[in-house]
Amino acid sequence: MRLLVSWLRDFVEVTASAEEIAGGLDLRGFEVAAIEPLGDGDAVIDVEVTANRPDCLSVVGLAREVATLYDRPITLPSSEDGAKIQLKPITTGMSDRLSVTIADDELCPRYAAAVAEATGVKSPAWMTARLQAAGVRPISAIVDITNYVLLELGHPTHAFDLEKLAGAEIRVRRASPGEAITTLDGINRTLDADMLVIADRDRPQAVAGVMGGARAEVSPTTRIVAFESAYFKPASVRRTSKRLGLKTEASSRFERGADCNVPAIALQRIGALMDRIGAGRIVGPLIDVYPRRREPARIHMRRVRLATLLGATVPDREVERILRTLGLAVDAAADGWDASPPTFRVDLLREVDLIEEVGRHFGFDKLPATFPVVTAPAAAPDPRISRDQLVRRVMTAAGLSEAVTFGFIEAHAAEPFAAAGSDRPIGIANPLSAKFDTLRPSLIPGLLDAVAHNRRHGADDVGLFEVGTRFSGHGETRAVGVAWTGSTAAVHWSDSPRAIDFFDVKGIVERVCGALGVMPRFEPCHEAFLVPGQAARIVAASANGSAPILGVMGRITADLADARGLPQQDQLFVAELNLDAMWRARIETTEAVRPLPRHPFVVRDLSIVVADTLPAEIIRGTIQAAGEKAPAPLAGITFFDRYHGKGIPDGAVSVSVRMTFQAADRTLTDAEAQASVDTILASLVREHAAVQR
Amino acid sequence: MTDILPSSDSVRQLVAQFDAELAQAKSTRDRQTVRDRFLGRKSGVVAAWMQMIATAPPDQKKQIGRWANELKKAIEEIWLGYQQAEAVVVGLQGIDVTLPGRAPRLGHRHPLTLVRDRLEEIFTRMGFAVVEGPEVEDEWHCFDALNMPAEHPARDMQDTLYLASPIPGDSPADHRTLLRTHTSSMQIRYMQAHAPPIRIVVPGRVYRRDDLDLTHSPAFGQIEGLAVGEGLSLADLKGTLLAFARQMFSPTVRVRFRPSFFPYTEPSAEIDLSCWQCEGAGCAMCKKTGWIEIGGCGMVHPAVFEAVGYDAERNTGFAWGIGIERIAILRYQVEDIRLFYENDLRFLEQFPY
Repeated sequence: MRLLVSWLRDFVEVTASAEEIAGGLDLRGFEVAAIEPLGDGDAVIDVEVTANRPDCLSVVGLAREVATLYDRPITLPSSEDGAKIQLKPITTGMSDRLSVTIADDELCPRYAAAVAEATGVKSPAWMTARLQAAGVRPISAIVDITNYVLLELGHPTHAFDLEKLAGAEIRVRRASPGEAITTLDGINRTLDADMLVIADRDRPQAVAGVMGGARAEVSPTTRIVAFESAYFKPASVRRTSKRLGLKTEASSRFERGADCNVPAIALQRIGALMDRIGAGRIVGPLIDVYPRRREPARIHMRRVRLATLLGATVPDREVERILRTLGLAVDAAADGWDASPPTFRVDLLREVDLIEEVGRHFGFDKLPATFPVVTAPAAAPDPRISRDQLVRRVMTAAGLSEAVTFGFIEAHAAEPFAAAGSDRPIGIANPLSAKFDTLRPSLIPGLLDAVAHNRRHGADDVGLFEVGTRFSGHGETRAVGVAWTGSTAAVHWSDSPRAIDFFDVKGIVERVCGALGVMPRFEPCHEAFLVPGQAARIVAASANGSAPILGVMGRITADLADARGLPQQDQLFVAELNLDAMWRARIETTEAVRPLPRHPFVVRDLSIVVADTLPAEIIRGTIQAAGEKAPAPLAGITFFDRYHGKGIPDGAVSVSVRMTFQAADRTLTDAEAQASVDTILASLVREHAAVQR
Repeated sequence: MTDILPSSDSVRQLVAQFDAELAQAKSTRDRQTVRDRFLGRKSGVVAAWMQMIATAPPDQKKQIGRWANELKKAIEEIWLGYQQAEAVVVGLQGIDVTLPGRAPRLGHRHPLTLVRDRLEEIFTRMGFAVVEGPEVEDEWHCFDALNMPAEHPARDMQDTLYLASPIPGDSPADHRTLLRTHTSSMQIRYMQAHAPPIRIVVPGRVYRRDDLDLTHSPAFGQIEGLAVGEGLSLADLKGTLLAFARQMFSPTVRVRFRPSFFPYTEPSAEIDLSCWQCEGAGCAMCKKTGWIEIGGCGMVHPAVFEAVGYDAERNTGFAWGIGIERIAILRYQVEDIRLFYENDLRFLEQFPY
C-alpha cells in the first residue's frame, strides 16, 4: 500500500514528519519498504500490510493506526455541510432506472448501487496527482473516482455503462456452466457454476469482486453510469480469482474481507466526489439490497488474561483509549471490558485478538524481558540427535568434510538410484525448476555433484559426507552418504600418497557400524550406479537370523561419473547407510568394562594357499569354528598379507593369518598353541583344500 | 694466556684469538676447551682480569674493570653465536625437525551444523528438549492445525511444494502430501503426543517454492521453539530470546519485537536484534537500520491449542522460528547463501572440525 502522507493528513492531524510516521507504523506491525519524498514536502510511504488487515489497504485504515499511535482524533467521512471528507446524502429506495436482484445472498450478502448522469469531464489535477502518487493510472473521471474511493476507504466499487446493461437490470447470480465473459483486460474467460457474476437480463457483465466485463465498460462518452458497491464472500472471490488466474486490486481486498457496512458510504463518497469535480451527479435513490444486516460482534476481554498474556499491566485508561481510537465500541465490565469491533476489522474475532491490539499499541518495547519459570524437567531429546552427531564425529575423524545438499534433485539424476515398485523416486507436483523436481531417493547424487564441483575447482582429494533425509514410496529415512576420491593423505615429503580404494571406504563404514553398535556383513551386489565386482551390500548380522539391509557401497561407474561432470579417470568410491535401519539393528551392549586379561597371549602366524575366489569371510569362519574345538582359546584373527604372483599358481592366492590365543585362567603352553594351530590348519585343508606355505 | 695484561690492544687481540681458535676447533669438545680457557671460572682469562681489578692500584681499577668487562661481553657474544649454530648442526645430525609434520586428515563440519549444534546447546541449557519431525507432511499438520484453513493464502501452490504422489508416514494410512514449509508442523505432532508443560526446540529442513539466488533457497534450515504451560507470557518469550541472542551473538545485544502476523501465533512479532557490529549506529550488516531481523515469534494461538486438544484457557505458550542459514550468514558474514549448498572444500575447510 502506497500511502500518500498529505492524504493521510486529511484524516488525522499530526505534526510528525513522514519519516516519523513511517517509523511508528513499522513498530505497530506495518513494515515500511520505502519512503519516497515528493517535491513539495509530501511523501509516499510504501507500507506492507499483513494478510489479516485488509482494512489497512486504505488511507482511512492506516489513519486509524496513526491516530492511535499519536493519540489524535480521526476525521471520518461525513455528510454534514463543510465536512472535510464529504459524503453526499442519498435516500435509500427503489429506482425506476435500474433494478437489482441477488439470486445468491450467501456469496453476495449485500449489493448497493446508484445511477449517475456523467458529464464526460476530465479529472482535476489534484485527483490525478493523488492517484498517481498511490500508483494508480488515471483513466477517466468516472473510473478515477472509483479508484480514489478504493484507495481512500479501501472499498472496491465498479462502474457500468447503464445503457449497455440489457433490461436495465443487475442480477447477482452464479455463472451457468460454460458461460463466458470478456473481461476488461480483453481476455475471454469461461466461467463455472461456483463463480459469482454480475449479470444483466441476458449475460454476465462482470466477474463479481474480481473484474468487470468489456461490454459494459464505461468510456468518456458514457452518459448514464450504474455504480456498484457490494460485499462478496471472501472465499468465493478467492476461489474465482485463483481459478481464473486473475488477481486485481478488488479481488485482493474482497478475498481478505471487505467491510459489509461500508457499501452505502462508498456510494455517498462517490456522489460527493462527482459533485466536487463536476463529473456528473447521482440521480435517484441509493439502491441497497442487504437482506441480513451484519451486526458487530461483542467480545469480552479479561483484565487478568491481558496481563497474563503480555506479561505486563496496561492501565485501564490506555486499554480503552487504544480500542476506541481503533474504532471499537468499549464498555467496562467487572473483570475487564466488552468490546464491539467495527465490521471492517475482520481479524477481531476473539479475546486474544483484542489483547494483541492492546499489546501492539501499548508497545512491545514496554514489555519487560523475563525468564519463564521451569516447572518440569526437560523432556528426553530425540535419540536421532545424538546418533547423528556421533556419525558426524566419526566422519570428520575419518577425514571427510560435511556437505549439505538439497532434498530434491533432477529426475534424471535420481534415475540410477531408483529401484522398482514403491521405491520409485517421488516427483514434485509443482516444481519451480526441473533441477529440483524429484525427491532424492539417495544422498549419493547430491554428493556426486558436490565432488564434481570441487574437482572442477582444482581439488584432487575430495572426501565428503552428508547426513540427511531420503524419500521413497515407503516414506522418509535418515541416511549418511559418503563420496571419496583422490589420495588417502595429503602430499608429504616422506612418502607418496596412496589412491583411495574400496577398503578405505569400507573401513569408514565399519567404523560407523562400530560406533552405532551394529555388526555389518558385506555381500557382493549389483547396482546400476556401481562398477560390477566393486559393489557391496551391507547387511546387519543379527542374532535372530534376520539380515536387514543397512546400505550399499562401491565404486561409481565411469558412465555415471561422466554424466555428473566428473573426470573420467577419477576413481570415486561411495557408501550410503540407512541410519534408521542401523538404529533398529544395533546390539545393545553393557557399558561395563571388560577386565583386562591376566595371562599372556600367544601369537601364531599361518600362511596358506587357497583358491582366489574363496572369500576371506569364509576363511575366517572356518578358523573361528575350528578354533572353538582347539585346546587354546582363540582371541583374535587378523589377515596380514594377501599375495598373488611368483610361486603361487594361477587361480590361487596366498593368505597369511595371524592368530592370537589367550586363556582367561592360565598361561598357555607352546604345546597347546601348536595343537590349536594344527587343528585349525587341518580344518582349512579339509574344507578349502588349503596348502600351507 | 692469563699473563696477558689488560689493555685496549689486548682486548682486541684476545677476541680475535678466541674467534680464530673456535673456528679451528674440530669438535664440540674442542670448542668447549677453547671456551674454558677464555671464560672458565677459575683459569679463564676473563676471570683472571676480573681478579686483577681487586689488586690493582686505585687509579687503575676503573680502567682495568672497563677492559675486563669489554672482553667478557665480546667473548660471550661470540660463544652464544656458536652455541646457536651448533644447535642447528646437532639437529641435522639427527632429524630435520623443521620439515612439515604428517598431519592426520580431519574433516570439517558444515557451518550449518555448527550453528545448529550451538543453537541446540543454548536452548538445551534453558531446559528445552531437542526433537525432530518429518520433512514430508500432510496438510493438517502443516496448515489446518496451525490455524491456516483451506482458503489461507499461505497454502497457495506458489509457496508450497506438493508431492506428485503421497508417501506414507508412521502408518500406511498416514498420507504425506507436501514438503513442510516450516518446522511448526512438529509443534502439532509433539503436542498431540505430550501433555503440557512443554519446552522443545525443533531444528530441521523446510522447503519453499522459491528460486535459488543470492539470498533465497528452496530448502533451508529452521529452528522452531515451543513452550507451553500455565502463565507463560510475551515478556517470557522476550526474555528467552534475549538470553539466546546474548549467547549466540554478543552479551550486549538487545531484542526488539515488531508486531506482525502469523496465523498460528497471537500476538505475533518479528524478532529484531540490535546490531552487534555497529552497536546501533548503522552499518552494512544491519543495512544502516541498527537492527537485524532473525525470525518470527508470538504467543501460541488458542486455535492451535484447540486443534491438539489442549485446554486453551489454562495453558498459554510461546513459539518462534529462526532461520539457521540466517544465523550462519550473520555469524560467518557469508554474502551468498548458495555457498552453503555448493560444498566447496575451500569454504568448508574454514570451519572447525
